[in-house]
Amino acid sequence: MANDTGGPRRAAIRDGLLTEPLDDLSKVRLQGSRCRQCGEVTLGRNSLCPNCGGSELEVVPLSDRGELWTYTVVRHKPPGDYRGPEPFRPFGLGLVELPDGLRVMSPIEGDVDSLTVGMPLTLKVAVHHTGPSGEDVVAFAFAPAR
Amino acid sequence: MSDVVILGAGIHPFGRFDTSYEEIGATAAAAALADAGVAWKDIQAAYLARMYLPATSGARILRRLGSTDIPIVDVEAACASGGVALRQAILAIRSGEADLVMVLGTEKMPRGFMDPRMIYAPWQIEMGMSLNPSYWSMRARRHMHEFGTTDLHIAKVAYKNHRNSVHNPNAMYRKEFSLEEIANSPLVCDPIRRLEICAPNDGAAAVIVASKERAAKLGGNPITIAACCHSIARFSADFRCPADSMSATANNPGPTEVTGHMAYERAGLGPDDIDCFEVQDTDAFCEVEIYEELGLCGLGEAGRLIDEGTTEIGGAKPVNMSGGLISKGEPVGASHLGQVVEIVSQLRGQSGKRQVEGAKVGLAHVLGAGGNCAVTILKR
Ligand SMILES: [Zn+2]
Repeated sequence: MANDTGGPRRAAIRDGLLTEPLDDLSKVRLQGSRCRQCGEVTLGRNSLCPNCGGSELEVVPLSDRGELWTYTVVRHKPPGDYRGPEPFRPFGLGLVELPDGLRVMSPIEGDVDSLTVGMPLTLKVAVHHTGPSGEDVVAFAFAPAR
Repeated sequence: MSDVVILGAGIHPFGRFDTSYEEIGATAAAAALADAGVAWKDIQAAYLARMYLPATSGARILRRLGSTDIPIVDVEAACASGGVALRQAILAIRSGEADLVMVLGTEKMPRGFMDPRMIYAPWQIEMGMSLNPSYWSMRARRHMHEFGTTDLHIAKVAYKNHRNSVHNPNAMYRKEFSLEEIANSPLVCDPIRRLEICAPNDGAAAVIVASKERAAKLGGNPITIAACCHSIARFSADFRCPADSMSATANNPGPTEVTGHMAYERAGLGPDDIDCFEVQDTDAFCEVEIYEELGLCGLGEAGRLIDEGTTEIGGAKPVNMSGGLISKGEPVGASHLGQVVEIVSQLRGQSGKRQVEGAKVGLAHVLGAGGNCAVTILKR
């Protein structure tokens, strides 16, 4: 995503995952695709509904608030091209239930020993790492709601 | 589906070996032929289940047994590959194309965590969502929240399987651990611990299957395949697929429940008719959930089943007499056929100290990436 103001270029970690523009990250939300045929909402911009196969999908911004439906703590550095903090720190990973009718797999920020099912969370969108062309790669997490 | 039978079964131990996958696979194939009393030249088709081996591995392995021009097909469906290969053989026999077929599962796997690019999208890997046990662990945490299942219940399943493996010469670890050792082993992904998960490794297992008519001419004591079913997870029914999001409204039954039900129906049997089970204990919690999904107990009752010792050898519904994948290791393509080899041995009364007294019917279950699930029911 070229940015005409001369700042660093930014791109979502997965195409269609986030609302645009990405200039002010405090205004960015996750996006979902709502199927006009069956009503199911799936994460990101999708062209076909994985439930009914319908092709009339509406891209909708998702709520930035949710509840922790289940979680784990990743205690070992994940294999492959993991781009999290170095050195590795254990982190929470969970399914966050949003009022939009879906549960999103997400890293959970904060103290890994204070996670509980049902805890309220808010979306955090931030630059995650530097991409292959020097661009800022933007990703998401959820953090305990204040 | 009582029209197809198993004439013979063979296995190469599961573990870590310096030998080639061709040699590992050929060892199991030759053992199955010998057990069936059948010559390689009489086999009319062969299926190889594998996930991590190169192209045409089936032909590369089986050429070692002698020159052949029969169709040899590699089959892949993640952890369910073996069940899918067996099903292909059954379909070939039922179609009338063949009446004597080999099904082989072989794997030689990289050490440690599996290469995530086989299963996950690049962005999931970059964000740290590519550690397989994390998905299983989230299932466990939710079950604990909803039903009061405890860390101790999960540890007890691992304890049982490690203890059973001591009597299985084909298992990798064959070591009993105390409940304390298991419950204090390092966390991999909370609440799942090091001694509660399986490791990828090397191994092979094979069966020779035949039509009932062909088997009658050959003689011996064949084992009947009462059902062999495969399905993949319905929409949002299993987040080990792995999913990036799950529906909060769809309420589809999981692949184990669906495939198990299908197999029970085909066999005309229910969970109470089964004398012994081999199931996918990728981690100890996975087995806990399968108790409920295969109908060994009701939803949320697995903890009680464990506390009552029902699934131990000597209990009413013994599970993973072989030691399960936790102690055998999981050579993905070979794992279901390894379970089938164990059930055949149980139904023949050849399982020694891990024998389930008087076992007449057994069930084998696998579940893995893509929500691939296979269930095979055998009877004597
Ligand atoms: Zn739809």
